Amino acid sequence: MVISGLLEHRADGTLVRRVESPFRETTELRGENVVVEREGNRTRRFSLDRAPELRGMLASFGALLSGDAATLRRHFTVTVHGAPERWQIELVPQDEKLRARLARIVVHGAGDRPACFTLTEPDGDATIMAIGVNDRADLPATLERDVLEAWCAGTAGR
Amino acid sequence: MSPAGRGLLLAAWLAALALLGTLVERRLEVGTDLRLFMPTPRTAQERLVLEEIGEGPASRLLLLAITGPDPAAAAATSSALVAKLRDSEQFRWAANGEADVGTLPDDLLAYRYLLSPTLDHERLDAPFLQAQLQERLRDLASPAAGFLEPWLPRDPTLELLRLAEAWQPSSQPQLLHDVWFDAAGREALLVAETRAAGFDPQGQREAADALKRSFEQVRTDPALELVASGPGAFSVLMKERTQGEAQRLGGLATLGMVLLLLVAYRSASLLVLGLLPLASAGLAGLAAVSSVFGPVHGITLAFGFTLIGVAQDYPMHLFSHQHRGVDPRQNVRALWPTLATGVASTCVAYLAFLFSGVRGLAQLSVFTVAGLAAAGLTTRFLLPALVPLRGNDAAESAALGRLWDRLAGLPRPLWLGAAIAAACVASLALSSRPLWQDELGGLTPVPRHLIERDSALRRELGAPDVRYLILIQDRDPQQVLSRAAALDPELGTLVSNGGLAGFDHPARYLPTLEKQERRRAALPPPAELQAALDTATATTPFRPGVFRPFLDDVERARHLPALGPQDLAGTPLEARVGGLLLESGDHWTGLVTLTGLTDPAALGRIAAGTEGATLLDLKQAAEDLVANQRTRILWCLAGSALLLVLVVSIALRDAARVGRVLAPMALTTLVVLAALHAGGMSLSLFHLIALVLAAGLGLDYALFFERAADDPAEQRRTLHAVLVCSLSTLMVFALLATSSLPVLRAIGVTVSVGVVGNFVLALLLTRPGRAP
Repeated sequence: MVISGLLEHRADGTLVRRVESPFRETTELRGENVVVEREGNRTRRFSLDRAPELRGMLASFGALLSGDAATLRRHFTVTVHGAPERWQIELVPQDEKLRARLARIVVHGAGDRPACFTLTEPDGDATIMAIGVNDRADLPATLERDVLEAWCAGTAGR
Repeated sequence: MSPAGRGLLLAAWLAALALLGTLVERRLEVGTDLRLFMPTPRTAQERLVLEEIGEGPASRLLLLAITGPDPAAAAATSSALVAKLRDSEQFRWAANGEADVGTLPDDLLAYRYLLSPTLDHERLDAPFLQAQLQERLRDLASPAAGFLEPWLPRDPTLELLRLAEAWQPSSQPQLLHDVWFDAAGREALLVAETRAAGFDPQGQREAADALKRSFEQVRTDPALELVASGPGAFSVLMKERTQGEAQRLGGLATLGMVLLLLVAYRSASLLVLGLLPLASAGLAGLAAVSSVFGPVHGITLAFGFTLIGVAQDYPMHLFSHQHRGVDPRQNVRALWPTLATGVASTCVAYLAFLFSGVRGLAQLSVFTVAGLAAAGLTTRFLLPALVPLRGNDAAESAALGRLWDRLAGLPRPLWLGAAIAAACVASLALSSRPLWQDELGGLTPVPRHLIERDSALRRELGAPDVRYLILIQDRDPQQVLSRAAALDPELGTLVSNGGLAGFDHPARYLPTLEKQERRRAALPPPAELQAALDTATATTPFRPGVFRPFLDDVERARHLPALGPQDLAGTPLEARVGGLLLESGDHWTGLVTLTGLTDPAALGRIAAGTEGATLLDLKQAAEDLVANQRTRILWCLAGSALLLVLVVSIALRDAARVGRVLAPMALTTLVVLAALHAGGMSLSLFHLIALVLAAGLGLDYALFFERAADDPAEQRRTLHAVLVCSLSTLMVFALLATSSLPVLRAIGVTVSVGVVGNFVLALLLTRPGRAP
């Protein structure tokens, strides 16, 4: 499934994931709470404890955006490949419970900008987030997983 | 009597007391339900009020807060505590906001299609399933995917989640770490309903202990603290405070009493002998109550022993009148007409409570009458044989002689009596404040900071209002459920208008049989559902066949019998529905509990429009009950006052003497009433009991003063007796009057003022004229 929208990381640590198409949904991660509001549905609230993969994402996001390597190392085993103009960081959660839900996060990027977040579950399923794509035309024509992964790794220097 | 004979008699008496003691101890069952001291309900409405006050879900609810430096630890403890309380014998249910999908046991899971409202307006057809599967795909792309995914094969429409959400309180506190927290995010909040009624301090005590134990077992951080609030927690607290203070004051009083008696009689043996009639009184009272009523109320015991304290006066009269050269048996024969009149008339006064319609008071009446009679009879027939022949003669005391001479010189201002009476009546009649205390809890007020904490917790948790409640009654539980459900739209409107924050009723958890059957009939047969599901799945990436468990559950649901109130035993629904749908005799009562009510009038209109529904204002209803009860008790007291006059008249046979004896007591009663009122106190049942006690004491003083013949020595002995009696009583009750607890203070102040008034007025109005 392909969805697009906005990710917003606020100064207070709140992460807002706004899906705009093909449906509208807003997820707010603030403190320990997750609130999911989807058009035509009841608001769903749950604790971050129920979604450890989110906790991982939140931690990696915050630390990456603020360049906080110490925090990143506290939560993940960090492996860095590539050169400054085209890099790839692999994050493997240190917490066993989290690893049961989230095998690893791979971040592709160039310079000071992350381009793709790939969250891989232990069963191999993955969620790929391409960041900073404002136009569908910027993405590959077919959105198959391997195509997209190659795009993340290869065209990261856009 | 020979020393050997006396020894034998003493041994026999003690043996009899011991025997009675063992018998009583074996049968004694002490109850603690405070409602025994509330009016006996006479109408169905009154019965409901009392049941609701003591047993309704609101009264059983404990509001809990776990505080500590680390919210995550508080949350973990909250989860563990709820699980522990759910298993506890003492609690019916507990909740902390966790929308636990697993709350329905496995064999009830298929019932979700009968219990959830989805099928009222949807069909499990291809378009609906397709829309649902689309939503599930979006869920899987959302952060909620992690915890929803395992349920999807069995429950693709998320019916269980809908039910879990529907069963959450209508307004609830914020969730942190999946459990309720206060707005500041510092306290994890929980509610638990005790099995014991709110007005059963013993049961509440056990629940409080179980709670404490569970908390200590599960707390994840020693820095965490648990606070419990609610009617039950308060009744435990107040009972302990009252008991503690009564014990402390009682200990002091006993010590003072011993000292006073030693000073007055300078004899340790008299001190010990003087206790025998009192001990006989206590045991006789206990035996009488437990054989008439079975379980004895704890309060009956506490008050009963206070009231039969009068019996301590009986041996004192004997001792004070004892002097050399007089056989105690001869002495008691001379005192007996006066003593017997006092005992009989006091017993008559206490008989009033037997007909008060309050079970606790009837017990108190039996206890006191039996006790006083036993004390009087043992003082008359057993005690004199044991009293040593030689001893101090009060008449030889020079100080007492001078005192009596001075007192005898006082004027006898009969006009003063009339003036006092007029002043008291006028001050009572002219006051604008109500004389009586109507609030049920007025005498056991909970400290202010606890009340404030309770209302804060109640607000945070959206706990039901303890004052207003809608009752729906019918012979048929299904009617009750359907009427409760029919209130939904109107109550919902009131909620959106802001007149109400939320409501709860049994039909939220248990729909009517008819509704469940309609939903069941709407479930498609297997082939049809399979076809619809195939069509729906074809448009999605879901693997065909993945929803097999869903098909099985629907097929199971198609053959389930609808759930009635009696089918819930052993399920988590039992507790929720059981507290809101009650069977009593041939009737079922449904409760609609309300949260954050600001517009009772609108609610009254809604209730009035529903058949069999009543809006109950518990505060108003309880005050009416108390007022009715009081009226009844006052009538009983009036009746016993007449009887008392009759007893005294028969004993004295002279109108002038009867007048002299009764005037101080009647006047003192007026003085006490006026004094209490002027002191800003509202009178309650306990003041009335204390007034009767004071009147009984006054009657004794007056009878003895009146009796004191012309012999100056005998006059001094009487003065000694009455002085010792009144001083000892005053000491005990003045101590009670210093209590911080209104119920003890009420009794202490009333009796203290009464003793002083009775003594002074008996001295002024009843004492015989100066010997010529």
